[in-house]
Amino acid sequence: MKKLVLGGVAAAMVLSLTACGATNKDSGDGKDVTLTFSTNVVGEQATALEQAIKAFTTETGIKVDFSAPGESYEDLMKTKMAANELPDVFTTHGWSVARYSDYLAPVNDQPFFSKIADQIKPVITAENGDVYVLPIDQDIAGLVYNIDVLESAGVDVDSLTTWAKFGEALAAIKATGVTPLHMGGKDSWPIGQYGDWVGPSYFITDDASNQREALKSGTFDEATWQRVGGMMADWVQAGFFNEDALTADYASDAAAIAEGKSAFGFYGNSFIVDARATNPDAKLGMMPIPAASATDAPSLIAGERIAVGVWKDSPRKDAAFKLLNFLAKDENVQAIASASGNPAGLKGVTSDIGDIQTYIDKYSAVRTFPYFDREYLPSGMWDVMCATGSDILAQKPDAVQQAALTMQQNFKDKF
Amino acid sequence: METYPEAKKGEAAQAASPASPPAGRAARSGGKRRRRSRGLGAARASINAFYLPAVALFSVFVVYPLIRGVWLSFTNWNGYSQTYRMNGLANYQRLIEDPNVHTAFINTIVYGLGSTLLQNVLGLAFALLLNNRFRGRTAARTLIYLPVMIAPLIMGYVMYFFVRYNHGAFNDILGAFGVAPIDWMAEGPRAVAIITLVNTLQFVGVAMVIYLAGLQSIPAMYYEAASLDGASPWRQFRHVTLPMLVPAITSAVMINLIGGLKLFDVIMALAGGGYSTASLSTLINRTYFGSEAAGYASAIGIAMFLFIMAVSAAAQRYLSRKEVAI
Repeated sequence: MKKLVLGGVAAAMVLSLTACGATNKDSGDGKDVTLTFSTNVVGEQATALEQAIKAFTTETGIKVDFSAPGESYEDLMKTKMAANELPDVFTTHGWSVARYSDYLAPVNDQPFFSKIADQIKPVITAENGDVYVLPIDQDIAGLVYNIDVLESAGVDVDSLTTWAKFGEALAAIKATGVTPLHMGGKDSWPIGQYGDWVGPSYFITDDASNQREALKSGTFDEATWQRVGGMMADWVQAGFFNEDALTADYASDAAAIAEGKSAFGFYGNSFIVDARATNPDAKLGMMPIPAASATDAPSLIAGERIAVGVWKDSPRKDAAFKLLNFLAKDENVQAIASASGNPAGLKGVTSDIGDIQTYIDKYSAVRTFPYFDREYLPSGMWDVMCATGSDILAQKPDAVQQAALTMQQNFKDKF
Repeated sequence: METYPEAKKGEAAQAASPASPPAGRAARSGGKRRRRSRGLGAARASINAFYLPAVALFSVFVVYPLIRGVWLSFTNWNGYSQTYRMNGLANYQRLIEDPNVHTAFINTIVYGLGSTLLQNVLGLAFALLLNNRFRGRTAARTLIYLPVMIAPLIMGYVMYFFVRYNHGAFNDILGAFGVAPIDWMAEGPRAVAIITLVNTLQFVGVAMVIYLAGLQSIPAMYYEAASLDGASPWRQFRHVTLPMLVPAITSAVMINLIGGLKLFDVIMALAGGGYSTASLSTLINRTYFGSEAAGYASAIGIAMFLFIMAVSAAAQRYLSRKEVAI
């Protein structure tokens, strides 16, 4: 009798498990399907995404398990890639081609493909011509500054065409009692931002003399990186960074610039949105990134931001593409891009980003370059930039030389 | 429930003894023996079956990852690619030369030994104090044990608001006295000391509870005998309490030591996982996910495993020798 009961219980468990599996397979019409959706974005942008996804569920009946784990997203995705078990739909945080292309289904045959904005298309196109994501917005990034602080110091942003002039402006700002640069070094990644913002001006942007080909073919010049690191060391020495540059966090960077306690931020336009969460009245602007030499001109960074792709092995691929096309609707792209403070990634859609659009329009003729680490450094170098930059901030002996050598060695190892 | 082994083993031995009964009875007892032997085997098999779930779980979640970790430590895997290649002992050679590993190793020793020392000294002091009857004793015990209930990550973030430079509680207090603010976590050694203290503050309650249990298990007659012999309170503590507490000390030291050597959450919350305050655990995390060097991170993990095993075994061996039988 006992055996009979146990057998019955076991059979029931097996059947219920089988039933669970069956329920979550794509049934063709999309009903009774639960998709998994993961994103790296948080805050306003995540809220906008989630609202669009809820509207999708209401319209189609397809449920979506939405997850925005924040800081741990990248680690989580690496673990999922290792297990080859990814979410049905996910955002690629700038890596749709270099890191995720092996795991994503191409979107070239999707209705929204022809609407992808011309500026972002080359950035998200693989060598074979495949595009793997829906670019909801696009990153046009320069230096963020506090207008009031610069006015008080008598600094005209349009005159800051080289790092030498930028350094003079930092000194003028410091003389007014304001911290010129606020670094949230505890979070590590803000230190890497410096490398991504300054690196291109020494390695990439100068058409007359650059190292684009050398980097692409596996040669990293440590002497050039010494100039990048050396400038940071000079600024540390001059007291241009906040006292707690190693122990403050990103949130304090946003708060400092919003409250007029710092002048510049090496961040994209979402930094303006984050700063205004602290002080909605903050007068903030965006300017091109200065050049390293007088013969070169300032530039902007253009890159992938909120871009969404479908896992190529998803058992719910039909439903996943339905979601992707739903997100590609003008009103959804407009809402999410507005929340991120960036231009929309699709033609014919204008995001509501207020004064940020003024700056994007103002500098529309400025040359744009892709993110330095994504385009010219092998994957895994970002953390090396953060770690070596941290040593320079801490004023360790020979930190600049060591940073350059470490960058070179890691570049060689990871290439 | 059947209490099986010893009684039935005795019966089986008796049945097999030379002073066995005559042939007829022997044949009957032989049949019994076979039945008993079969019963014994079946019982053993069913008892062993109870181990299976634990063995299976241990194999899947401990043994397999360990073997896999050893394997990966000989590769150049980046942590997510479907392919990698073997690189022999290169990862182990690299960890011997890597200054970040050296710093993390020293920090790990400080976190492990420092926390263990402080937690045990303070835990014993609290236990001795709170073993006495006085008003508010229960409240005091609760207060000291309370931080154990908080997740270490939360504890770290709470303490960050004390030690941060801008608007940190400590600097606000210093500011009230006209003292310039200090960037408490900026210098490696000071930051390591602060992390050790925070870890101690959080887990001193564990040591206290273990020592309280140990103190309450010491028979009162030893103290009575010592008092009659004229032993002072210090000599009673030295020659009665401490020796009798060695089993509790062993438990508390081992728990604190292993916890301290594996410290991770508090460091991440307070210092963000930078190299100057890194423990071997945070270094493994950063190397695996940040630097995308999973093979190298595995090698550090194996080294850490061997180190903790050696330290724990040495501590266990030393303390076991000190234990006295009541």
